[in-house]
This record gives sequence, C-alpha cells and structure tokens, in this order.
Amino acid sequence: MRTKRSDTVAAYLFLLPFLVLLLIFFVYATGRAIYFSFTDYDLFRPPNWVGLRNYAALFADALFLSALRNSILFAVIVTAVQTFLALVMAAVLNQKVRGIGFFRAAFYMPSITSSVVITLIFLWMFQRRGLINFLTETLQRHLPVLLAFALILIAVQVVQVAWERRRELPAAWTDPALLVVSLLVASGATWLLVTTGLILPRDVPPVDFIWLQTRDTIPSGAPFWLSVPIPLAAIMIQNVFTTIPTFMLMYLAALQDVPKSHYEAAAIDGANATQQFLRITIPSVAPVTFLVLTLSMIGTLQMFDQVAIFGDAAPLRSVVTLAYFVYDRMFPGAQTPEVGFAAAGAMFLAVLTLVVVLLQRRLVRSEGY
Amino acid sequence: MRAAPAHRLGAAEQRALEHWQTRRRWARAGLVYAVMLLFAIVFVGPLLFAAVSSLRTDPLAYPPSLAIPQLRPSNWAAAARLGQAGAADRWFGGFAPGAVVPFEIAYFVPDGVDVTDPDVEVPRRRPGAGLGAVLAIEYAADHASVSELRRLPDVPMTVETGDGTISGRRVGYAFTIRYEGTGPEIDRLPLDVTAAVGMQYLDSTLTASRLERRGRTASFNDVAPGVLGYVLRNYVRVFNEVRSPATRQSLFLAWIGNSFTFAAVRIVVTLVIASMAGYALARLRFRGREAIFMLVLFSQMVPLQVLFISNYLVLRDGILTIGGFTLSSLWGYPGGMLNSLTGLVFVTALNAGAVFIMKQFFESIPREVEEAAMIDGANHWRRYWNVVLPMARPALGALTILTFQGAWNDFFWPFIVLTSPENVKTLPIGLLSFRNTYGAVGDWGLILAGAVTSAIPVIILFVVFQRYFMEGVSFGGGKE
Repeated sequence: MRTKRSDTVAAYLFLLPFLVLLLIFFVYATGRAIYFSFTDYDLFRPPNWVGLRNYAALFADALFLSALRNSILFAVIVTAVQTFLALVMAAVLNQKVRGIGFFRAAFYMPSITSSVVITLIFLWMFQRRGLINFLTETLQRHLPVLLAFALILIAVQVVQVAWERRRELPAAWTDPALLVVSLLVASGATWLLVTTGLILPRDVPPVDFIWLQTRDTIPSGAPFWLSVPIPLAAIMIQNVFTTIPTFMLMYLAALQDVPKSHYEAAAIDGANATQQFLRITIPSVAPVTFLVLTLSMIGTLQMFDQVAIFGDAAPLRSVVTLAYFVYDRMFPGAQTPEVGFAAAGAMFLAVLTLVVVLLQRRLVRSEGY
Repeated sequence: MRAAPAHRLGAAEQRALEHWQTRRRWARAGLVYAVMLLFAIVFVGPLLFAAVSSLRTDPLAYPPSLAIPQLRPSNWAAAARLGQAGAADRWFGGFAPGAVVPFEIAYFVPDGVDVTDPDVEVPRRRPGAGLGAVLAIEYAADHASVSELRRLPDVPMTVETGDGTISGRRVGYAFTIRYEGTGPEIDRLPLDVTAAVGMQYLDSTLTASRLERRGRTASFNDVAPGVLGYVLRNYVRVFNEVRSPATRQSLFLAWIGNSFTFAAVRIVVTLVIASMAGYALARLRFRGREAIFMLVLFSQMVPLQVLFISNYLVLRDGILTIGGFTLSSLWGYPGGMLNSLTGLVFVTALNAGAVFIMKQFFESIPREVEEAAMIDGANHWRRYWNVVLPMARPALGALTILTFQGAWNDFFWPFIVLTSPENVKTLPIGLLSFRNTYGAVGDWGLILAGAVTSAIPVIILFVVFQRYFMEGVSFGGGKE
C-alpha cells in the first residue's frame, strides 16, 4: 500500500497525544539522563561537564558495588530458580483434568496483588518470631516423623512395583495407582508409630533466625562477589514465590500443545520420566523458556519496590540494588542530591539490561529456535 | 516403563490389562488434583494466613495460629451483648452516658493459695502510635466507674501441667462498669484486671486481649466493642485511628479515594491515547511509521530509573518554566505538579504497552469492514470512531481492567511524585507510611489490615474478569 499525503496528516493527528508524551517523557528524558551522567548536576547549581568522571567514580563507590553485586546475584539466582521450578511444576501438572480454571485462579493470586501488599505480608512473615521461623522450627521438630513416613512410603512402593513386575505388568517406579496405596499405607503406619510413641517429634531449640536486621551473608564469610546478604535472600524467596505461578501457567499453556504421542514413543523406546523431561519437555518449550528468561532477567535486574518497602527494616547495603541506588543518589535524604552520579548509575543499569537481552536473543538465534 | 507383551495375551488378559491401565489413569488424575491443591495452598496460603492474622490483637504473637479468639462464636455473642450494653450498638459498640456494662472474669486458684480480690481499673490508654496520635481524644477513664466486685460460687477443678495435675478451684467475679453523668460517647472502653500472685487467668466474658506482668494483668482493649468492633478491630482502627493531624480527616479513606481517582483518570487517558495511536499504527501507511514503532518497542526496554530523573524535574518545573512563567499554571498548577494526582497522571500517561495491545487488536479486524465506510466517503476519524472503535470493545475492556490493576498497584511513580502531605498519597504509598510508623513499634495488626483492605478491589476484579488477567500474560506484560 502506498503512502498518501492525507493518510500521513491523519496519522500524525491520531498519534499527536502519544507522540507528545513520548517526546517529553521518553526521548527528552533519556537524552537528559545521558547528558546529566556526564555532568556534576545537583538540582541546585547549573550542571558542569565532567566527562567520564561519574562513571569512573561508580566503581570506587562502596554502595554502588554492593548494588551491582546484589542486582547480579539477585537476577541470576532468582531467574534460575524460578524458571526451573516453574517448568518442573508445569510438567507435574501437565494433565488434561477438569476444573483447572479454579486452580489457575488460585495460583495467580500472589501475582495480581500489589508489590506493597505482598512485601508487607512477607516482612511480617520474616520477623524474628514470625511464620517462616515457626514453620522451620515445626519442620525440624517433626523431622523424625517425616523421615519415617518417607522411608515407609519408598519401601511399600518398591515392594508393590516388584510384585507387579513379577506378574509381568508394566509398572513404573512412580506408578500412580500403587503410589496412592503406598501413601495410604505410609500415612497409617506413621500415625500408628506416633500414637504408640515409637517415633516422637524431637525437642529442638527455638529457631530464632534473623532475616532482616542483619549484615550476615550466605554463605557466611564468602568472597564479596559471591555472598548473598540474608535480607536479600528473603526478597529472593518472596520474588520466586510471586513469580513462579505466572511462569508456570505460561509453561503449562506451551506443554498442552506438545503431542502426547511424543511421550508415548519415548516410553516405548524405554526412556524413563527424567529422560522424557530432558529430551522432550525441555526442547519443546524452548521458545517459552526464552520469553520467561528475558522477562525474568529484565524484572529482576530492575528490582526496586521491595528495597523501598523494606526501608529501614534491613541495612541498606544488604538489600540495595542498582535501581534503588539511582533513587538513593537522586534523593539522599539530608545530603546534596548527586544527580549526575545517579544518572551514570541509571545508564549503567540500562546498558546492562540491554546487553543481557541482546545476549539472550543472540544465544537463542545460534541455537536455531 | 516396559511395553506389555501384548501379542501373547488372550482376550481376557487383554481386558485385565486395560482395566489395569484405567486404574492408573484415575490414580494419576487423583494425584494431580492433590498436587494442584498443595500448590494452591502454598500460593494462596500466605495471603489467607495474613488475612486471618490481621484479625488478631497482635499478629506477631507467637506461635502463629489459626485458633484465635476473634474467630470464636462465643466471643462474637459476648461482643454484641457488651456493645449493646455500652452504647446500644451491637455492631460497633462504644461507651455512652447511662451505660451499664456487665463483666465477669474467672481465675484458677490452686489449693493452699489465698484468694485476694483482683484490682479492676479502666486505664487511660492512648490508642495506637504514630499518625494521628497527637489528636486530642476523650478517655473512658474520665467517665467510667467500676462497681464492687461480686464473688461467684467457687467450683472445684484441676489443671494439667507438664509436671502433673494440680487441684484447686475456679474463682469467679462479676462487676459492672457504669457511665455516670453526662458526656460524649466514647469509642472504646479499655479495662485492666490485676490479680494476686498465684491466681491464674482462665477466661472472661470476652477473651483478654493480652496478659501482662507475667500473666497477672488481663488487659482488654475494649470491653464494649460490638461484633464488628471486636472481630474487625484492626480494620476499624485503620479507618478511624489514622487521621491527618491538620484536618482530622481519615487518611486511609483519602488514600482509597486518591487511588480510585487516579485509576479512573488513567483508564480514560490510556484508552483514548492508546486506541488512537494504535489505530494509526495498525491502519494508516505514513512516513516514519516504522521509526515510531521501533521507538515504542525500545521505550519498553529502558528502565524507569533512567526516565525518572528528568521526569521528576519536568513535573517540578510544571513541564516548562521560562522567565517566571510556568506552563502548568495554565491548568492550575503554578508551583509545578509534584505531589498532585494530575502530575502523576501526566507522568504515567505514556503507556507503550497499551499502544502495542491496541495495534495488535486493530490489525486483527478485517479491512473489509472499513472499506464499506470508505465508499460512503467517511474520513479517518469517522472510520475510527464509528466503525473500528465499537468493534474494539473486548480489547478496550481488557485494557480497562489491566490499566486499573496497574494503576491501583503502581508503586514507583506515586513513590516518586507523591511524598507530602500524607493525604495526597495513593494506597500503596500510604501503606508504606503505615509500615514506617507502625512497623517500628511492632503494631502489625494495623499494617496487615491495611494491606488486606487494599488488595480487595483487585481481587474482586480478578474473580469477576479472570479471563482478561490471563490474557494479560500473553501480551508479555509480566511484571516482576
């Protein structure tokens, strides 16, 4: 279709409000941020050109280095964990069953509520005498019982499968019908063991783990670039929790399109569940994995809300990210704003995001998806 | 899994094998439901647990529990009765002139311990801390008088402890609290009952809010609460207790109002701008189209932190300030647009994602639809307004819901733009000042109640329009 003059005029009239906003709040804003990053602007005195000094100063700034370390660890660990868990959970749930709509809605709940609501709830759960420590303590106390349950479950399942195989029936080690029986037997047996007092919950010291007001890291005493501050780990747990459902549903949609015959053919060739997962499931959802990885990296590299909401509940160094560093230099409380320095940090974050996205795209191209 | 040696099977064995397989399918479906239920509990659990705990007097009380006094029907009945007695209001209670509030409390006294009558006192206790705590309030203590204690008949009983059984008796007391003379109606009637050492609190008309001084003092936040005043106490506090020191206006109500206003205006602005821009990009061929579209895509990849530096200054300067003239004074903001919802709308009006959605949708409408109108000589505006837009109702609906959710939950821009005074904030930012004020003193009841309340509109919207939210994922609009 060829371009008509009247079309062009009409098009720009239609686009006018959008373009005005785009020019002021995007093009001009980006340009100004780039310009500020080469100046010593502080909101009050006119800016002076300082060349690359802000960028050089970034790497001598302790807060920036903490932010860089935190952002990178946060992005890499959270992306890896949530992508993996989302895929595994989707594979487990990949069955055509009725009533999945209800469950999809339930899984979605954490992702529709605001970051403030979720973060406040997690802050509450991460208090010293909060739910997380309570659950850890309960788990530790009941460890013998759980262990007994697991052992009985495995034993009963092994015996049953061996029996079925002797009858020449094609029972897999995870055979669902036998598993239901094993679960019932194991529950009953464990209940008996506990009521007769043969196995009892142990006495454990109260779990009093400090999640928030601490400068400690995991692993404790690791080199700077490899140590995850504990409050940051708390945000990681929260982020994984809120994001898994979204990604899991994306994977689930993709998995439902994989033909069942692929799995059946693999089963006939003798592939077990793990092999099927590695050879069929993972390759067939590769495009979704790419989307999930990209969305996850962008989201996690730019994490801001949780740090702002944690506020003084955790030491700044332990949770600061690149995004929050920019805010912190722009509005440093009682000190003079360092707008130029903040802008340099923002440019660094933008370039980092862009590089990660382009690298991933490149990687995907070379893999030929 | 091994393949069954099917070729060696007879008809009966074949049937048996089929039954065997069917059993497996049923079992697998059952297990999948069980796992889904487990996941659902994991993902909804924290929200539900927070919602239940927000009813507790102190959500940090250890251990965390679902068996809380606020969920006990006997307490509901007592709260209604006491509210009726206090201010003839069984829902929200209160303490009004002429009120006679009857109350009973019972202790366990082991054999050999002397019984001393407890001290009953209506304390002057200031509700809450922080925002609005500076306001002058009326105290029930100034108007209440406690009657003589009447001792109820003792009942022998035993108590099991870790070391064995202790025998003793149950000692009960009854008394009334009166509002004598005239005066204002007071919101709450706190009570402290302090017993002698050795006497152990058992129960009372209403369960004690907390035990202080090693269990000697049973402290009640309000002994004339009414059902809602008792069960939803933290929620009532969220609305009543947090007030602007200057105007006495409820801050939480102001935040809710701001959030709704912001969401409504942003929906209108987004729909208008995005549908017009989307139409142009989808339907019209013009010079610069590709460049603009690339810019739209690119703008979604640049972090907000790059943009907010300049955008903050743009709002501060009222878009443009030249020689003492501020552009935003034309629409009533001579001092710049920081700390105003208008400024917030301006800075969030750029929504490239929405333009993208509308463009995709318009491209899916067949061109023939428009051609009939073109033959009638309709211009572009008529074609957009009369032909294409009415067909775009589903897309506009989805966009409305996604925009509402985005605006209601938005954190970054309100956090930058709305800093003071407290009553210009939207809900998420208001909740943050809740956390800063009440988190430090450990008053999580208020924070959780505020958080749960603020989540309700989006949850209702989600339950009603689930489909649109799910589609939002495929638009790639996933936030972290």
